[in-house]
Parts: sequence; structure tokens; C-alpha cells
Amino acid sequence: MKKLLALFLTVTMVFGLAAALAEDAPVKMTLWTFQELHTELYKTMMEKWNAEADKPKLDIDFQVFPYEDMHNKLTIALQSGEGAPDLVDIEINMFANYLKGDIGLAPMNEYVEPIEDHLVMSRLNNYAKDGKFYGIDHHIGATVMFYNTEILEAAGVDYTTIKTWDDFHAAGKTVLEKTGKPMIVWESADCWSVYPMVNQHGGDWLTPDNQVRMDEQVVIDTLAFMKSMLDDGTAIPCPGGWTHTEEYWGWMNGGNCAAVCMPFWYLDRFTNYMPDLAGKMKVSAMPLWADGGHKSAQMGGTGTAVVASSPNAELAKEFLAYACLTFDGCVTTWKICGFDPILKDVYGSEEMKEPNKFFEYYDQDIFAVLSEVLDDIPDTCLTEYFPAATDIVKTQMAYRLVELREDPEQIAKDCAEELRSQIN
Amino acid sequence: MASNKIDRKKRTVLSVLATALMILVAVFAMVPFAFMFMSSLKPGTEMMRYGLTLRFDPGISSFDNYTALNTYRDGVYWHWYKSSAIIMIMQTGIGLFFGSLVGYGLAMYQFKGRNLIFTLVLVVMMLPFEILLLPMYQMMIRIKMMNTYFGVVIPYLVPPFMIFFFRQYCLGIPRELMEAGRIDGCSDYGIFWRIMVPILIPAFGAMTILSCMNSWNNLLWPMIILQSETKHTIPIGMGTTITPYGNAYDVLMPGAVMAVVPIVVIYLFAQKTFITGLTAGSVKG
Amino acid sequence: MQNRSAGKTVKRRGIRSLSDPKVVPYVFVAPFIVFFLFVYMYPLIMTVIMSFQQIDGPNHHQFIGLKNYQKLNTRDFQMALQTSGRYALWDVIVLTIVPLLIACILHSGLAKGSGFFKSLFFIPSLTSIIVAGIVFRLAFGTLETATMNRLMTAMGFQPVKWLSYAGPGNFVLILLTLWRWNGVNIVYYLSGLQSIPTDYYEAAQIDGASALQKFFHVTLPCIRPVLIYVITITVLGGFSMFTESVALWQQNNAGGVGRTIVGYMYMVGFKKNNLGLASAVGLTLLVLVVAVNLVQLVLMGFFRKEE
Repeated sequence: MKKLLALFLTVTMVFGLAAALAEDAPVKMTLWTFQELHTELYKTMMEKWNAEADKPKLDIDFQVFPYEDMHNKLTIALQSGEGAPDLVDIEINMFANYLKGDIGLAPMNEYVEPIEDHLVMSRLNNYAKDGKFYGIDHHIGATVMFYNTEILEAAGVDYTTIKTWDDFHAAGKTVLEKTGKPMIVWESADCWSVYPMVNQHGGDWLTPDNQVRMDEQVVIDTLAFMKSMLDDGTAIPCPGGWTHTEEYWGWMNGGNCAAVCMPFWYLDRFTNYMPDLAGKMKVSAMPLWADGGHKSAQMGGTGTAVVASSPNAELAKEFLAYACLTFDGCVTTWKICGFDPILKDVYGSEEMKEPNKFFEYYDQDIFAVLSEVLDDIPDTCLTEYFPAATDIVKTQMAYRLVELREDPEQIAKDCAEELRSQIN
Repeated sequence: MASNKIDRKKRTVLSVLATALMILVAVFAMVPFAFMFMSSLKPGTEMMRYGLTLRFDPGISSFDNYTALNTYRDGVYWHWYKSSAIIMIMQTGIGLFFGSLVGYGLAMYQFKGRNLIFTLVLVVMMLPFEILLLPMYQMMIRIKMMNTYFGVVIPYLVPPFMIFFFRQYCLGIPRELMEAGRIDGCSDYGIFWRIMVPILIPAFGAMTILSCMNSWNNLLWPMIILQSETKHTIPIGMGTTITPYGNAYDVLMPGAVMAVVPIVVIYLFAQKTFITGLTAGSVKG
Repeated sequence: MQNRSAGKTVKRRGIRSLSDPKVVPYVFVAPFIVFFLFVYMYPLIMTVIMSFQQIDGPNHHQFIGLKNYQKLNTRDFQMALQTSGRYALWDVIVLTIVPLLIACILHSGLAKGSGFFKSLFFIPSLTSIIVAGIVFRLAFGTLETATMNRLMTAMGFQPVKWLSYAGPGNFVLILLTLWRWNGVNIVYYLSGLQSIPTDYYEAAQIDGASALQKFFHVTLPCIRPVLIYVITITVLGGFSMFTESVALWQQNNAGGVGRTIVGYMYMVGFKKNNLGLASAVGLTLLVLVVAVNLVQLVLMGFFRKEE
């Protein structure tokens, strides 16, 4: 009893003091992330925030966890209603999990809606439900093609002439013939090859009301195209299974492959893990499909969200908007992380042209490529069953296509069946 | 005499064969460490370039990565180290005490409900811990054990695998020793402390090592309980250095090598005290 | 010291003190009872309840009968069962026999420097599996230039895509497990071997038993308790293996090659946020492990002694 009383008194005193010192005492907050790079962005933005006179001072405790475990922890915390942080980074594939039942995240509408026209909204729609925006992304994640010009030149191919996927395939044949090297890799263990290509082609896994689209003709056609490249050796299964393995990085760095198709933020992987390709890599738009589709596709991402039950939720929202939705915040995002920010205003601005390690590595106007495709990036349909669909793509679709070379139509049908059985 | 000579020859051949086999196994056990150690001396980009190699390149190899551990995220590595050590000591000490007590009781006494209790031990032992995660977590919040070291230890206070092991071990101890103790006027607890514990030393040795190892490498549960970064353990911390979103091999490899050191030291000590010098004498029937 | 008299008077009526012979065994096992009731009972019951529920957030628990269990009839889960089953089988075979043989050789003193080897073999189990996994993953890479494939080509074999297919993938898993747990099992066996009185062997020697006979008629029966222990935890470890597969395949799982039952549970529970279904998977695993172990224990004659 005594202890309880003491505790009560302490708590009252602390709150009293906090009220009295409100001007000076910084507000403590916790932020969970799985991406250490993000903390540098937030730290920089927090310093800027604290330097401004009219803002209450913030003291954010940045906690970095391993990717899987952070999401598990968040699931448990939100499920049990206790122990959640104030701000949290949620990976795009996981996001739908937190939009089920009672949503534990706070909507950001009052910050998003006024500047809607300036933002790449297809990005924020990924984190929305019933017209409420729960997550703010740091980048567009527009898929682009990275070409190794050294290999292409050796084969006499000019990458700027590659306009369609058929051109790409034809160039691949030349490269293979002249250099013996494959044009590109397809992932067998993850979805970073299959999904952007299907998505760019106009397909998706699900409709907003969870009708399965996996066995549509556009999916089958896309898979068939990928298989045709595998069959003649212009594409090979990705070493290590996917493009985020040490094995792939080492192999790619050794100049063994002419291209890779990944989201814009992959340029950071080149600068960090493939140092020997500096000056040789060029960024270009994705080849187009002859029969329609889009200029690019969005892949990957992190929705930073405010936990609704946080006592400082309003302040956290304000800070999040400050760090991610302002001009300055978006420019800082590019400078620190090498991301393509979601605020359209920054593109073409002087601030984005200041030299940095990325410009040095690629030696080209990276953003010219980006603004080319910015107006035609399809939405992705991230319903609550999207994680299940992604899992099926990883375990079955990509593997059976790339590793076992099975019939695309059969694969698409089986995968669609599996997904339907999980939904019902 | 002749047969003795042949025997000796045979023994020599066998001995050479056995030694060769052991060397082979030793190489198998050590090669990954060699890779790890060699990688820890090189900049992380080297690993990207050439993958795993045992090549020693004096030009680029240095202990810089090790000193970098001190500065990485303001020296957080050593905080992880401390947390891991505290949890390991608590978990092992408490676990050994209770585990041996219960295992001994189950092995040496006949009493009502013994089989039931032992069955429960088996069931708990076979329980995949992951399935209890959510309710366990809610319980920890309720009893205010979040972000404490003790909270990490709670599920391991009376480790069923230790109970099982001690029980199995005690079954090999002749009951006559108990009788002898009684005749000498010892209480049942006295028998346990003064007669049995010394006999159980090899078992304690094996369990100490195993418990230290489990605790030192435990990831899932500490991850759930420990919230602040400075309270994280080494496996959690190491996990944050490798993600698809950024791999800090410069920290990971030396961090991993350094993490092995204390536990190897404990092992060598435990091994000397408990296992090597052991004579089977006291257990003789 | 006043306990002394109590210990002596075996047949006193009623329960007078903690030293009462009727109470003593319960004092010994009390920690477990308390522990079980307070730490395990509640979560276990909760898990059973949850396996019959659809859970969408803290206040959305809805009973749906056996629906979660019916959902286990999918290709995904069956693949996970296969993966775990295959692994558990080989795990038990390899991790029971290999360490036993090595322990016997070490114990026999035939090999020079046994003490040194003993210490050495244990060291792999002290490392973090995450880091060891990276080393194995790179060594068994898919490329022809990966360490193991170079070795294969040097020996005149075709390079293998180790981690891309179930068979070779399982082989690498077993190898990683053997690397990591070999030393632990050796220590278990050694602690058993060291408790075998040497005169048993001397007696066998006098009877003219061969080395093999000694092994089957003296060594094996004497270390039976340890053997049972090793098999039991290996069965458990085999079926509930997770970390090793994550270390090799990370969270990817092309073709179901590396996804085990616990991996499946993890994915369902946290990636798909379906804790009800995850609980059902977990309980299925529990039943499986207990069943296999009961069969094993009966076969090993574990319960015979109690009669």
C-alpha cells in the first residue's frame, strides 16, 4: 500500500512538474524501426524541429530491431493493447495486418489532405483504409532498370534504344552471344521480379474486395515472357534466390550480368555493396509492354505510422508530417537515404541537384529518369490478404517459374487456387 | 608375448586412425570460425566482392573493425554484452538450482503423482515456446516485468530439460548412497546437498554449459521483453546489423567473434572443473 | 540439524514438518509445480482457447469452432509438415549416432589429445546461429564459384544448387545442425560414458568380449538414460526447428524448401496476423512431438523401470 501511495505521489509530482516545465522539458517519445538508415533521417529532422522556436522540444528514443522481430513485437503490442511505441516504421507488405479489426494506428488525414495534389498519392493509398491514411512513406519506390554499360558496350548495345520488353529481350540475345553473360536475373525466392513486372503490365494479385486476380491472362503473359527469357538463357535464376543476398551482390559486382530491374531505392545497394561498378551503372526507365500497361511499378516501402493509443499522438503526427511531408524533409530524405521522395515539388529543384555519393556513382541526371515515369505509376492493391498473396508468390509462383520452369498457365492457376482457399 | 605385440601394433594403428578421424571432425568444427575470423579482419566490402575466403591480405586486413565496435552507435555493443552476461548468469544459476532439485526428487523418491508430474515435465519440454508467446507477453505486462532482465529469465526459472537430464542422471546413482546417508544421520536435504551434489557435478557441468549457451544465443523472448536498445542482448543487436535493408558486416563479423569469446572461456573453465578431471569413482555401484 | 531425527523416524504419522518423509519428495518437486501452474498453465490454456478463435485485435476474439483446424488442410502446411518431418528423421539418425561414435572414441582414449578435441568440438555450439548461418549460406551458395561447389568440381562432380531444392537443402540443414549440436551431444554422451564403472568393461574383457560386443552389451545399456534424453530432445529439436532454417534461407522460402512447422506458425501468426490459426498450428506441432516421443520412449523401454 505504502509503495502504491509513493508511486502515486511520484507520478502526480512528475506530471505536475512536467506541466510546470512544459516550455523546457522535452517530450519523450519512442520510435521503432527495422531500418537503421531511417533513424539518421529522423535524428536530423528532430534537430531541425527542436531548433525551431515555436515547437515543443522532442526527445525521441530510436529503437532499432531486426526486421521480422520488430513487426512481431508490434503485432503483440497492438494485440495486447500495451507496450507499443509512439511512432513506428511498418514495412509495406506487413501494413495490411495492422488495418484489421480495431485499427491501432492514428490517421494522418489532416496533414495529407491539404497537400494531396503535391504528393504521389498512389504511394499513400497503400497505407489507407476507408479513406484514412495511416502511414506516410519516405519514397515512391518507382521501379527502374539499372544497366551495366560496360557489358552492354562490349556487346555493342546502346541501352537508350531499349524501349520495350521485346527490345530488351533482343538486346539480351546480343549480349549473351557477344559476352556469354545473361541480361538479367529473375528472383526465385522473392517477389521483386514477378510483382513489378505484373504490376507494370497492368495486373495485380487482388481486387480491393479480395477477388483473386492471380490467374488473369496478363499474369500468365508476364510469366510466359519471363520464362521465354529463361529458356534462351538471357535471364537466369538470381544467385542466392533474390537480389538482397551477399551472393548476388558479389556476383553482380564482379560484372557478370548486364542489368537488374529494381525500385529506385536500390541505387543505395549499388553504392554500398557493389563499389566496383561505380561509373559503369546507368539508371533508365523500365522497358514498356507492347500491349499496354504502365511506365513503372511501385515496390517496397515503409509506412511510418503513429500509434493511436500514444499519449502524445497529436504531437507525433505533427512531427511525422514535418519530417516526411515537408519540402525540407523530403530533400533531406534524398540526401541521407537516396530515396525518391513522395513530394512532387522537390523534383527539379536546386536542392536536389547538389552533388552527393549517388550522383558520383551514377554520373547522370537520375531524376530525369524518374520524372519521365512519375505520372504513370499504377496503384497496388494492398488488401488484408496481400501478405498471403506475397507469400504464395514467394513460395510457389516465383520458385516454380524460375527454378522448376513449369508451365506459366498452370502456375498461375494453382497459385490463384491456393490464395482463394486461404481467403474463404 | 607375440599376441601382446600384435595387440600393441593393432592399437597403434587404431590410435592413428582415431586421431586422424578426430582431426577431421575438428577441421569441420573449426573451418566456419576461420572464415568468420578472416572476414572480421577485412572491410565489409571485401566480403561483397569475393564472398568467403580464407585469404589473408596484409594490405587490407587489420583489427580496425574491432575498434569500430567501440564507436558503433555510441558503443552500444558493450551494453548488449553486459545485458547478455547478466541474463546468462541469472538464468543459469537459478535454473541449475531448481532443475537439479526437481530432477533429483523425481528420480529418487516414490510418491503419489510422480508420474503425472514427470509427464508434465515432458509435455512442457516438448512445448514449442513460440505458441505461448502472446499470452506470456500479456502476463509479463500484467506483472510489470517488461524491459527487465528478470522478465527474460522467468520462462526459464525451472527448465524442464534440466529436470529431465538430472532425473536421468540420478537414476544411475545407487539408492544405497541415500541409505548410507540416512544411517550417517543426514536429513533428506542434507543427503542432497552433501552427498548427491558432489556426485552430480558432471551433470551440473553439462547443464551449466548448455544453459549458458541457450541463454547467450536466445533471441525471440528477450526480443519481446527488452525494449530499450541498451538493454538488448547480443543476438538482438547482431540481428539489427543484418537486414535486407542494410548489412553492417564490418560490425557483424567482429561482433560475432567477440561474442564467442566469453562463452568459450566459461566452457573451458567448466570443462576443466567438471568434466575432464572427473573420475567415475563416486558413482561406482 | 534438528532435521536429523525427523529423517530417521521414517514412520511417523501425519505431516509435522518439511522433513517428514511424506513431504520431502513434494518439497523437491515443488518448484516445478509452482512454475508450471504460474508460468505455463495459463498461457497453455489461452493458446488452446485461441486455437478455436478468430482474432482481429485485442477486443475482437470470436469463436469459430474447428475452422482453424480445417484450414490446416492446405498445400502450404503439408509442405511444412514434410519439411519438418524429413528434417526430424535425419536429425534423429545423424545426431544420435555420429556424436555417440565420436564420444566413444574420445572416451576410449585411443585418439591422442582427447581432452583437446573434447573442448574443440564443443565450440561451434557457442556461436550465434545467425552468423554461422551466413557462413554456411555463402559456402553452399548457388553459384559455381561458391566454396562447396568449387570443392564439388575439384572432385569431379557437378555443381549443385544446394539451397534451391528440398533434398540438398535438407542435407545442408543437417550439416549445419550437426556442426552446431555435435559437441553438445558429445558432452551428454561423455557424461554418461564416464559414469560407467570400469570394472564392467574389465569383466567383459575377462569374458573375452570383442570391442563391438562390449559396445552393445556394456556401453549402450549403461548409457540408456542419456541416450533416451538425447533422442527425446533431438525429436523435439527436429520438429520444432526454426532458427537454422531462417539462418540459411532468411525469411524466404522458395518452393517451401526451408519452411518448417514453426516457420509456418510464425508466418501465419505474425506475417498474416492470424494468431488463432497459429495457435492451431502450434498445438498440432505439440501433439505431433508428444506422439512421436511417446512412441520412441516406449520403444526404448523408458517406462519399463517404473513398474
